Amino acid sequence: MNQRRFILHLNVADFAVAVERVVDLSLRDRPVIVAPLQASRAAVYDMSEEAYREGVRKGMLLARATRICRSARVLPPRFDLYRKAMGSFVNEARGYSPVLEHGAEDGHLYLDITGTHRLFGTPPDVGWRLHRQIRSKLEIDPIWSLAGNKLVSKIGSRLVKPVGEYIVADGEEQRFLAPLPLHLLPGLSSGERQRLSQFNIGRIGELAALSRMQLDGVFGRRGETLFELSRGIDDSAVRPEEERPPRVVREHIFSDDCADRTVLKGVVGALAAQLGMELRATRRQARRVGLQLGYTDGTTVSRQASVHRGVADDEALGRLALTALERSLTRRTRVRSCRLIGDRLHGRSPQLNLFTDAAAGPKKEQLLAAMDRIRQRFGREAIRMGTHPVLH
Amino acid sequence: MENERTTGPATALIRGQQPGSPCLVMTGTSGYSYLEWVDSGFYPPGTRSAAMLEFYGRSFSVVELNYTWYQMARSDVLTRMLAAAPAHIIFAAKLTRTVTHEREEDWREQVRRYRQGISALGKRLAAILVQLPPDFDRTVSNRRFLAELLDYLQGMPVAVEFRHASWAVDTVFSELERRQITLVSVDEPDLPGLFPRLDVVTNPALFYVRFHGRNSKGWKHGNMQKKFDYDYSEQELHQWCEHELGPLSSRASRGIIFFNNHVRAQAPRNALLLNSLIGRKTARSRR
Repeated sequence: MNQRRFILHLNVADFAVAVERVVDLSLRDRPVIVAPLQASRAAVYDMSEEAYREGVRKGMLLARATRICRSARVLPPRFDLYRKAMGSFVNEARGYSPVLEHGAEDGHLYLDITGTHRLFGTPPDVGWRLHRQIRSKLEIDPIWSLAGNKLVSKIGSRLVKPVGEYIVADGEEQRFLAPLPLHLLPGLSSGERQRLSQFNIGRIGELAALSRMQLDGVFGRRGETLFELSRGIDDSAVRPEEERPPRVVREHIFSDDCADRTVLKGVVGALAAQLGMELRATRRQARRVGLQLGYTDGTTVSRQASVHRGVADDEALGRLALTALERSLTRRTRVRSCRLIGDRLHGRSPQLNLFTDAAAGPKKEQLLAAMDRIRQRFGREAIRMGTHPVLH
Repeated sequence: MENERTTGPATALIRGQQPGSPCLVMTGTSGYSYLEWVDSGFYPPGTRSAAMLEFYGRSFSVVELNYTWYQMARSDVLTRMLAAAPAHIIFAAKLTRTVTHEREEDWREQVRRYRQGISALGKRLAAILVQLPPDFDRTVSNRRFLAELLDYLQGMPVAVEFRHASWAVDTVFSELERRQITLVSVDEPDLPGLFPRLDVVTNPALFYVRFHGRNSKGWKHGNMQKKFDYDYSEQELHQWCEHELGPLSSRASRGIIFFNNHVRAQAPRNALLLNSLIGRKTARSRR
């Protein structure tokens, strides 16, 4: 039995711009910047290769970006459109393998095509055909690279960006990586790169020349990871959506961007209540609540709060959500969207607690159960806590 | 009878028509990195892609690189491959698809990049294979493109494989002869519209043959696994040896023959069989 894997990595460079260019042909061959227009300190969300070459970078202040690249056309981001385009992109790939992993709307996907050669032909042929299919149907031109694992295929894509293809033969990983600069290695923090440059190590091969013991001495527990990364070792599986840990997600987008903490707290509390209702309906509990705040300038901040014992009641979930909110509010910029994620889920135990708060326990549960019944019958907003606003 | 070996395995020296002008004939396969060749027993169990060329070199002395069709020839990739390749192996390399099949506006720049990349093979490059798509017929614009492409490849050893029957005319052959460019002889199913099987030699330095298999049913399927699923019988290869090889080898000093029917490792099996038949023929003619 042969255990070798064939992983295709597809990446549409500057995904948002690529999608905008499909919609509006006049945007082709000219610099394009995607950034929220109405924000006072808007940051660049995405830019075309032409704008990149002139010095525009993601996260750069829009005012500075437009000074650097005066001929650029600036467009507001259309996340729904990108999400839809990402869905079509993923659907094309799904025809070649069910083992597929992709991001939200970032134009990246991994496809495990191991064992499909009798059905679809050689792996390079699958890469080429899928690329051709996406190009003709969606009019976007993804980079594709083929290797024996996710790490090396991603580096292959980085190497040929913004367009092209790269094939790394199985067993050739280390020789392929050796001459490449360290910044192409995913998973290496800037601090680690800085530390390595102090040792005069600038190439992946130089890092691979170090032993486990040497790496452990400098980087501690991260030493083992660096040892494997530098050798192109990556056993991580391509994880299809259905195999990823389950989670419950609720999102609210403000019609007017908001900086009022009281309003934000109310919204986060209401999202937590929605999360709780779904958890209770499926008899599950969450041990972690994550909050993603989308700021008006296009940046996103994510923070989490967790507990040892799973919770499903609105009050406990609300407490976790508010902790995550306190941790997320690091900026003075207005907030555009809140995304609350409950994960580390497990089934609710039928076992009753031995030492329950006799006063609050059963009563609180009865109240929540009654509220859930009302919501199920008359709609989500039929009954709510006074501190929670109506979410549309 | 043992095959006469010259520079490596699967090679034979065939006597030419002129005394003292033998033709060195080498057989090989189109591509060498196929996982199913491990399953089919051509490579030992557990062989990794990077080690396949070394094993391949134990049986053959020439290989056609088809991954240069999928991705632009890059000197770093080819240098790595050469480092792991047995010293006796020489290469034919397909021209990249963005010049032939998916031609883009900047194809001239792509040819320049290809030339730059492929130069890493140095003297071990036997030929650049310009395979033209099936719908590339002999129109004025296609003729102009091909002429310009061949100009851009000037100075390189080039072989052209037509797949549309309209190119099978004397004026095309004489132009290739004038430019010393090899016309690829193909063995494929007898289907209307396909380029015919010919024994025309346009370059005295090299003849080039590609055995695609004769799977008429699977040919138009579009799936390579069906299209190239064919096992040549000994009789078919014997007949080819008797009727086609002579005219080709008598007019060129070197010949390379590739089998493209890669499915279930039929290509290396057929290539080795053909080589042994050539060896027998050579021994017979020497008696």
